[in-house]
Amino acid sequence: MKKVLLYISIITIGFLTSCNTDEFLDTEAKSTLDESIIFSNAGLAKGAVDGIKVPFGETNSYRGRFLPWYGLNTDVEWYNTSQTASANTELCNYNTTSTNTNMNLTNNVWAMMYSGIERANICIRGLRTYGNPQPGTELGYLLGEALTLRAVYYGDLLKAWGDVPARFEPITSETLYIPKSSRDVIYKQLIKDLGEAADLVPWPGATSATSNVERVNKAFVKGLRARLAMAASGFQQYPDGIRRSNDADLSVEKMYKLALDECRSVISSGTAHLESSFETLWRKYNKEDLTAGGESLWQIPFADGRGRMLFTFAVRHTTIDQFQGNGANRGGAAGPLPFVFYDYNKADTRRDVTCVPYKYGTAVKTTSDPIGVAKQELNDLDTWYFGKYRYEWMSRYVTSANDDGVDKLYMRYAEVLLIAAEAANELEGPSAAAPYLKEIRKRAFPTASQATMVETYVNALTSKTAMFNAIVDEHKFEFTGEMERKQALIRWNLLKAKLDEAKTKMTNLQARTGEYADVPSTLYFKTAADNVSLTIYGLNRGEITNPGVDYTAKTWVKLDALKISTLYDATINPDTHQFWPIWKVFIDGSNGQLVNDYGY
Amino acid sequence: MKKIIKGKWLSPYLPKISLKMKLTTLLLILSLVRIQASTYSQNTKLTLNVNNTSVEQLFNKIESVSEYRFLFESSLIDLDRKVSINVEKKKIVEILDKVFKGTDISYTINDRQILLVKKKEQPSVSITNAEVKAVDQQDVKVSGVVKDAQGMPVPGVNIMEKGTKNSVQTDFDGKYSIRVKGSNSVLVFSFIGYETLSKTVGQGNTLNVVLKDEHSTLNEVVVIGYGTAKKGDLTGSVVSVSGDDLKKTNMTNVAEALTGRVAGVQVTSSEGSPDAAINIRIRGGGSLTQDASPLIIVDGFPIASLNDIAPSDIESITVLKDASSTAIYGSRGANGVILVTTKKGKDGKISVSYNSFYGLKKIANTIDVLNPEEYARLQYEYVNRFETDDSSYQKYFGQWSDRDLYAGMKGNNWQKQIYGRLGETRSRDLGIRGGTDKMNFNFNYAHIDEKTIMLGSQYKRNNLSLGLRNKASDKIDLSFTMRYSDTQINGGGTNEQNAKSVSADARLRHSVGYSPIPLPGLTTDNTDEAVAGYLVNPFVAVADNDRLQTRKNFNVLGGISYKILPGLQLGSDLGLDNYNFEDYRFYGRSTFYVNNQVAAENQGMPALALSDKKNVTFRIANTVNYDFKKVIGENHSLKLLAGQELIKTNSTELTSEINGFPVFFDFENAKNLSSQGKALFTQTTYAPEDKLLSFFGRLNYDYKNRYLFTATYRADGSSKFLGNNRWGYFPSAAVAWKLSEESFLKDVSWLKLLKLRASYGQAGNNNIPTGQTSQLYIPNTTTWINGFTSFWSASKVLANPDLKWETTITQNFGLDYDLFNGKVIGSVEVYKNITKDLLINFPVPGTGYDTQYRNMGETQNTGVEASLSITVINKPNYGLNFSLNFGVNKNRINSLGVMSDFGQSTAWASTAIGDDYVVRVGQPLGLMYGYKSDGRYEVSDFDYNGTSYTLKSGVPSNATIVGTVSPGVMKLKDVNGDGKVDASDQTVIGNANPKHTGGFVINANAYGFDLSAAFNYSFGNDIYNANKVEFTTATENTQYRNLSTQMASDNRWTNINAAGNVVTDPAELEALNANTTLWSPFMRNFVFSDWAVEDGSFLRLNTLSLGYTLPADALSKVGITKLRFYATANNVFVITKYSGLDPEVSTIRRTPLTPGVDYSPFPRSRQVSLGLNLNF
Repeated sequence: MKKVLLYISIITIGFLTSCNTDEFLDTEAKSTLDESIIFSNAGLAKGAVDGIKVPFGETNSYRGRFLPWYGLNTDVEWYNTSQTASANTELCNYNTTSTNTNMNLTNNVWAMMYSGIERANICIRGLRTYGNPQPGTELGYLLGEALTLRAVYYGDLLKAWGDVPARFEPITSETLYIPKSSRDVIYKQLIKDLGEAADLVPWPGATSATSNVERVNKAFVKGLRARLAMAASGFQQYPDGIRRSNDADLSVEKMYKLALDECRSVISSGTAHLESSFETLWRKYNKEDLTAGGESLWQIPFADGRGRMLFTFAVRHTTIDQFQGNGANRGGAAGPLPFVFYDYNKADTRRDVTCVPYKYGTAVKTTSDPIGVAKQELNDLDTWYFGKYRYEWMSRYVTSANDDGVDKLYMRYAEVLLIAAEAANELEGPSAAAPYLKEIRKRAFPTASQATMVETYVNALTSKTAMFNAIVDEHKFEFTGEMERKQALIRWNLLKAKLDEAKTKMTNLQARTGEYADVPSTLYFKTAADNVSLTIYGLNRGEITNPGVDYTAKTWVKLDALKISTLYDATINPDTHQFWPIWKVFIDGSNGQLVNDYGY
Repeated sequence: MKKIIKGKWLSPYLPKISLKMKLTTLLLILSLVRIQASTYSQNTKLTLNVNNTSVEQLFNKIESVSEYRFLFESSLIDLDRKVSINVEKKKIVEILDKVFKGTDISYTINDRQILLVKKKEQPSVSITNAEVKAVDQQDVKVSGVVKDAQGMPVPGVNIMEKGTKNSVQTDFDGKYSIRVKGSNSVLVFSFIGYETLSKTVGQGNTLNVVLKDEHSTLNEVVVIGYGTAKKGDLTGSVVSVSGDDLKKTNMTNVAEALTGRVAGVQVTSSEGSPDAAINIRIRGGGSLTQDASPLIIVDGFPIASLNDIAPSDIESITVLKDASSTAIYGSRGANGVILVTTKKGKDGKISVSYNSFYGLKKIANTIDVLNPEEYARLQYEYVNRFETDDSSYQKYFGQWSDRDLYAGMKGNNWQKQIYGRLGETRSRDLGIRGGTDKMNFNFNYAHIDEKTIMLGSQYKRNNLSLGLRNKASDKIDLSFTMRYSDTQINGGGTNEQNAKSVSADARLRHSVGYSPIPLPGLTTDNTDEAVAGYLVNPFVAVADNDRLQTRKNFNVLGGISYKILPGLQLGSDLGLDNYNFEDYRFYGRSTFYVNNQVAAENQGMPALALSDKKNVTFRIANTVNYDFKKVIGENHSLKLLAGQELIKTNSTELTSEINGFPVFFDFENAKNLSSQGKALFTQTTYAPEDKLLSFFGRLNYDYKNRYLFTATYRADGSSKFLGNNRWGYFPSAAVAWKLSEESFLKDVSWLKLLKLRASYGQAGNNNIPTGQTSQLYIPNTTTWINGFTSFWSASKVLANPDLKWETTITQNFGLDYDLFNGKVIGSVEVYKNITKDLLINFPVPGTGYDTQYRNMGETQNTGVEASLSITVINKPNYGLNFSLNFGVNKNRINSLGVMSDFGQSTAWASTAIGDDYVVRVGQPLGLMYGYKSDGRYEVSDFDYNGTSYTLKSGVPSNATIVGTVSPGVMKLKDVNGDGKVDASDQTVIGNANPKHTGGFVINANAYGFDLSAAFNYSFGNDIYNANKVEFTTATENTQYRNLSTQMASDNRWTNINAAGNVVTDPAELEALNANTTLWSPFMRNFVFSDWAVEDGSFLRLNTLSLGYTLPADALSKVGITKLRFYATANNVFVITKYSGLDPEVSTIRRTPLTPGVDYSPFPRSRQVSLGLNLNF
C-alpha cells in the first residue's frame, strides 16, 4: 500500500511537471452558450432579444424613474406637489441637479438604458454575424426588433439628456470610456436603423409576433422613425444655445419629408386606426387589450407585477378598495393643470376622459366585505388627475404592492396622424394637413358637434401659422397625461413661452378673469345611484345655479399663487434647462469623459 | 522521546529522532508544564513486553504508557542498542536497572523526569553519598540545597567551580557540598531543563540556590507553511495559539476563540445569531471590494470557514501575518494565513477525554419603545401631521380626550416575545487517542446543539474526525485523516444579505415598531420599497422569513513521508473535500419578495427559494525537504524545501424559486410539498473549474543560532487569469538576529531572548469568481416583462481578459523578547502592507454593465502590534498570569485607478438614503457619508405672519431633504455655505475603523481552582446606528408604527397641546417645547446625519470562567486522570457609550465597503454555562 501511494505521488509529480501547464489551466465555462449557437437559432436568439426588454423593468429604470418623471412639468401637466421642495419636484421644475437623490444612483435609468443598448448591440452583431437575418424570416424579425428597441432606448436618452455617448457596437476595453457624441450622429444612425428595421418587421397582425402590440411592428417602426425625425430636426438646446440641427442631413426639409412619408405609409397601410371613441381607447388600454391593429402601435411590455403607470398617474385611491389592491394613496402623483379642463370644448369627449377632479376616498369595510368600498370625493381646484389611467377600468384586480403591471402606451396612431398633419402643413401647406387633423377631431366630437367643431374649425385654418397653432392645441387636447408634451414644446421652441402662458392662465382662472371669467367658484355634488360615483354640477362654465338641496356645495377656488409660480423654478429659464443633467455617479464613473455642458 | 536541548548540550542527533521531535515537542512542553504541578508517584508500576527492540523505541514505549520523560544528551547514548524487557508491574527503577545494567549509563529520577548521564562523568560522586571529596588545596567548604521554582529539591544538579574541573552533583534531597578555593570562587549550577546559574560563593558557608525552569516556549514547535519551526527560530511574524488555550472555556466556534487573543488579528462577529458571519481580518486586510478574509488551512487543506471544525479537535492554530511567512502560500496569502492543526493520535495507552457543557442564554439588551399612552399620543400627532383629518386615529384609538384610557397600560414587549426566550446550549465532545509505536489513532466526536434566544432559531453541529498514523518502517510514515461535519441552522435571523430585498424584510423593526397594544383590525399592506416601512406582526414576520441551512463537509486527507537518505525527506499529501450546502428560504405572505418580485398571479402567495451547492476540491502537494546539517558543520544550519501543489475545485449549484404556494402553507409545508407551488425557475450552474498550480521553495539558514535567514519563492498559476497574467511570482526574505545569543548578552541572566526580525515579501490574491475573463451568455429568468419568463443576456459584470494577480508587499519589523526567565514574554511589531493591482469589482455605471473586475488602485495598511504575557506568580499550588495584546492599524487607499472616489449605498432604507458610504483616495475604507445635524429649527428661525411660518433669510432650508420646513423640523448644517441644504452638503461624518483594538486575558489558579477572564476591546471606531434613525422617524408610510423612547413626548418637539389642538402661536409653541431637545419625528424620509453616527468603542468581558480540578491522587484510584468542573459566563458585560444594542456589529455585508452598520441585528445574548472536562 505504502509503495503504491509513493509511486502515485512520484508519477503525479512527473506528470504535472511535464504536461503543458497552460493547457491545464484553461478551463471551460459550462452553464453558458456561445454566441454562434444563440444567434443562429431563432428560438435561442429570441431569448437574447427578449433580454433587451428586461432593463425597462429594472427598479430604477423606466418602471420607477423614467416614466414617472420624464415629461413633467408642461403647460398641461404637472407634478401635483410641485410647490413642495423635494427631489421629485426638482425633476419637474427644470432646476434638476446632477446630485438629485432620486436619480443619482448607479442603477438609474441612464445605466439601464445603456444596459438595454449593450444587449441590443450584442444581439445585432450576433444576428448579423451568425443569423442571416432576411426579411420574412424569424431571425430577420428579431434583428428588426433589436434595432427598434435600441432606437427606443436611444430616442429616450436623447430626449432627456441631449448629447449622450454613442454606442453601436458591444463594449470593449477600448470603448469602455467614451465622451458624449453629437446627438446628430445618433439620430442619423437611428433613422438609418429604423429604415432597415421597417423592412424586416411585418405590419401589425401580419404575423403572430406582430399580432400583439407588445412586440414591434412595421407601423410602430415607421411611426417611431417619424417621431425621431421630427425631434432630430426640431429646436432643442445645444451647448451653444437653442437651435435646430446644423447637420444638412437633419434639415427640416429632409426630416419632415421622411416623417411625412413614413406616416403616410402607415396611414395608407390600413393596419392601424383610431379607436371608435377616445374613451374606448383608454378603456382598452386599462383593460390591457393587446391586440394589434388598433390605435396602440407599441407598448412597453410590463408584466402584471411590474410597472408603475397607474401607480403613479392614475386617479388617486386613498386606500385599498373595490378597484385596486395596489396600496394606499396610489395614483395621483401628477395631473392636468387646473385650466386644461376648461380649455376643452364642452362637447369634446376627450375632456372628461383626460381630466378628473375627484379621488376615491377611504374604503369603508364591513364584516362581509373586508376590502371595503370607496366612494369618489372631490378634490380642490388645484388638484386634478389623469383620467386616462384608471384602476376602475382595469379588468384585473392589482395585488402587487408597488406595481400595477399596466404597460406604457408608447405610441399610438393619433400621433402618426398629428405628425403627418404637422409635416404636411410645413411642406405642403395647411390644406394637406387638414385631413389628418380632421380625422383626429372627428373621433373627439360627437356627431352632432362635428360640423362645427371639425369641419368649420379645421377649414378655417387657412394659413400655415394658424394650422400650426391648431396642431399645437390639438396636441394638448389629445395627449395631455401621456408625457409627450415636453419634447413637443422643446422642438417647437415654445417651452418657456407656453409655461409662462400656463402660469398666466392659472392666475386668470384663480381670479376668474379673462378666458376663465365664467368658470363657477362653487361646485355642487351628490353621490350617484351606484353609491360610488359623484354627480357634480358646476364644472362647466356658466353652471352657477344651486341645483338643489340634495347637493352639497364645495368652494372651488383653491389655487395658491405659490403653487402656480412653482410650475417651473422661478430662478431659472426652462429654455436653458431643457435637459436633465447627467447624474453625478455617471460623470464620476466616466473616467473624466462625460460632462454636463449646458451651463447648469 | 523528548530531550530538552540547550546551547552547550546540543550535539548532532539522529535525523529520525529529530523528525519525531518536531511533531511532538509541543505536546511535551504542555505536558511538562502540567507535570510540575504534582508529584508523580515513584511507585507507579509498569508492565512492558518488548523483545529485541531499540533503546529509542523502548523509551518511546515507556513514555507512551507512563508519564515519565527521558532527558539525555543524544550523543551519549546508544539508542540503537537492542534490548528485551519483559516485566509485569515493576517500578521504573527496576526496569531502568535492567536496561542499563552493564552500560556506562546511570540515571536519576526527578519526579517524572528520568535523567540519563554517563557514569564516568561523575567520578567523584556517588548518587547515595553527596559528600564530596576534597580536591587539591580547597580551603572553603560550601554546602546548600538546590531547589526549583516550586520549592522542590532538584537532585542530580551539576555544580562546577568556574575555571576548574572541580565539580559535584546534588543528592536526592537536592543537597550538595563542595570545597572551593575561596569566597571569590564562582559556582556554576546546571541541569537539564533549568537555566544555568552562576553564583559567587561569598563569605558564608551555605549557598542555597533556586534554579529556574528553562523557559520552554522558545523550543515550542509551531506549524508554519508546509512544515514546522521552533518558535525561537522564526523570522517572520507568526503567532500561535494552542488548543489548551481554547479548551478552558466553552467555545462553540473556533474563530470566537481567537477573539482578542492575537495582536493584529481582529475577530468580530457581526451580530448575535449562532451562524453570524465572523469577520477575521489580519492587519486590516488589503482588498477593497473583495473579501479580505485570510486563507484558512486545516492540516494542509484550504477550507472556506472555520465554522466546520470542532474546537475540541484542534491541537493548535498558527496565524501567519507577514509576507515572509505567507509567501510560501503565494496565492491568497495576501490577507494572512490561519493554519489549523488538528489533534494527532498518541502512542501508548488509550486516553479518553470527554468534555461537556450546558449553557443558558438570555437577551442582553433591548430597544426601549414608547409605552401605550405615548404610542397613542404619537399616533395622534401623526394624523395631525400627515392626514387631513384624525379619522384614522379615531378609528383605533378613539377621541383624543379618551387617551387616559392608555395611561399606565402596559404594552406588549414584542422584542421579549420574539428574542426573549431562554436559550440553551448543549455541547459534548469525546476524544479517544491511542495506539502503538507503529500505528496510532485519534478519534474525535463533537456535538453542539444551540437553541438561541430568537423564536425558531437553532444551531446544531456534529463533527466527527478520525486520524490514523502509521509508521510503516523507519523511513516511511503514513497518515490518514477523515473529517466530517454536519451543520444545521434553523431560522431566518433578523436581516438579509443576499435575498430579494435588503431592507423590506428586516425583522427586528417589526418587534420595535409594532403596536404595543392590540388594536383590532389594524393592518396595513403598504410595502413601498422606496420608503421602507410597514407594519407586520412580529410573529408573522419571523414565520414568513424562515430558513433552513444544512452544510455537510466531508474531508479526506492522506499523506506519506519518506526519508530517503539522512536529511532528505519526501512528502506527499492528497486531499479531497466534499462540501454540500443546502439552503431553503421561505417567503411568507408579508414579505417584499412575494408582494413584488413574483409574477402578479402568484403575488401574496408563499414562495420558497432553494439552492443546493456542491463543491468538490482536490489537492495534491509534494514536497522535498533536505537538511544540510551533516554537510556544513555545527555552526551552520541549512534546510531546503521544494514543493509543488495543485488545487482544483469544481462547483455546481442547483437553484430554484417556487412561487404561488397555497396561502395557508407554512415553511414546513412548502419545503416538504414543493410540487404544490409553481417553479419560477430551476437552474443548474456549473461554474468553470477553479485550478491552481503552484511551485515553491524555501531556504532556512542560521549561523550559530544567532543569525537566521529565511527565503521563500512561490509561483502560482491560476485558471482565473489568461495568458501571461496567469502566473504570479511571490518572493520573500526575512532575517532575524538573536541578540541574546551574542556573547555580550549571553550571560545577562534576566534576558532569555532578544530577537530582532525584519522581513520583506510579496503574496498574492486571486479571490474573485471564476470565469471573469470572457463575456459569457447566461440564462436568466424574469417576471417583469410580458411574453417570456426566461432570456439570455451577457452577465451584468463586464469581462476583463487582462485580469492578473493582486499583490501585497509586506514589510515587517519585529522584536521578540523573553525576560526574567519567561515571566515576561512579548513582541512588538511594525509593518507596512501595500496591496497593488487590487482586484476590485469596479463600478462601471452607465456603460451597459454594472461592474467589472479590474486590477486597479492600491491600498496600504500600516500598523504596530504588541503582545505581552506576564507570569506574576508561578507556584505549585497557585499562579497568576496576564496576557495582553493590542494592534493599531491604519488603512489608506492610495489609489483608485481612474477615479478619486466613489460612493456605496447600504440600502437599508431602500432608496430613501442614497450613498451613505464613500471610498476616497487618501482615506481609509469605511467612511460614512451624510449630513451634519444642526439640531432642529426653532420658532426663532422663522417669521410668523399670523398664519404661516416662513424661514428667516440667512437660515438655510433643508426642505429638499426632510420635506416642508417648519418649527421643530430636523435641521441640518449647510456645509458648503450656499444658503440651502441639499445633497451637496453631505460630507464624511464617520469612520468605521478603530484606532486600536486588542484584548487581554487573565489566568489564575490556586489549589485546583482556575479562573480565566478574557476581555477584548475596540477603540475609536464609529457605528452607523441605522436602527436609531429608523426608530426615531415617522414618515408618510409608517403610520401606526411605534418609535423608540428617544422620541418620547418629553424629549421630542410637538405641535399639539394638552387639549389635542395644533398650536401655531409662536410664544405658545416655544413654551410647549421649552424642555425638549429632539426634533419632530415626522418627516418625509429617513435622513442619515452624524447624529446617528456614534462612538463604538467598547470593552467587553467576553468570557469569565471558573473551574475546579479535583486532586489527581483521589481520582487515579478510579482510573481518572483529570476531572475538572467549570462555570463560564459569556458576554459578561460591555462598557461602551454606544446607545444601540451592541457596539460589535456590522449587518450590511454584501460588500466590504459598508462596515459598521447597525441595522436590524440579531440581538446578542448573555450565556452562563456549566461544564466538565474528564480525562481517563
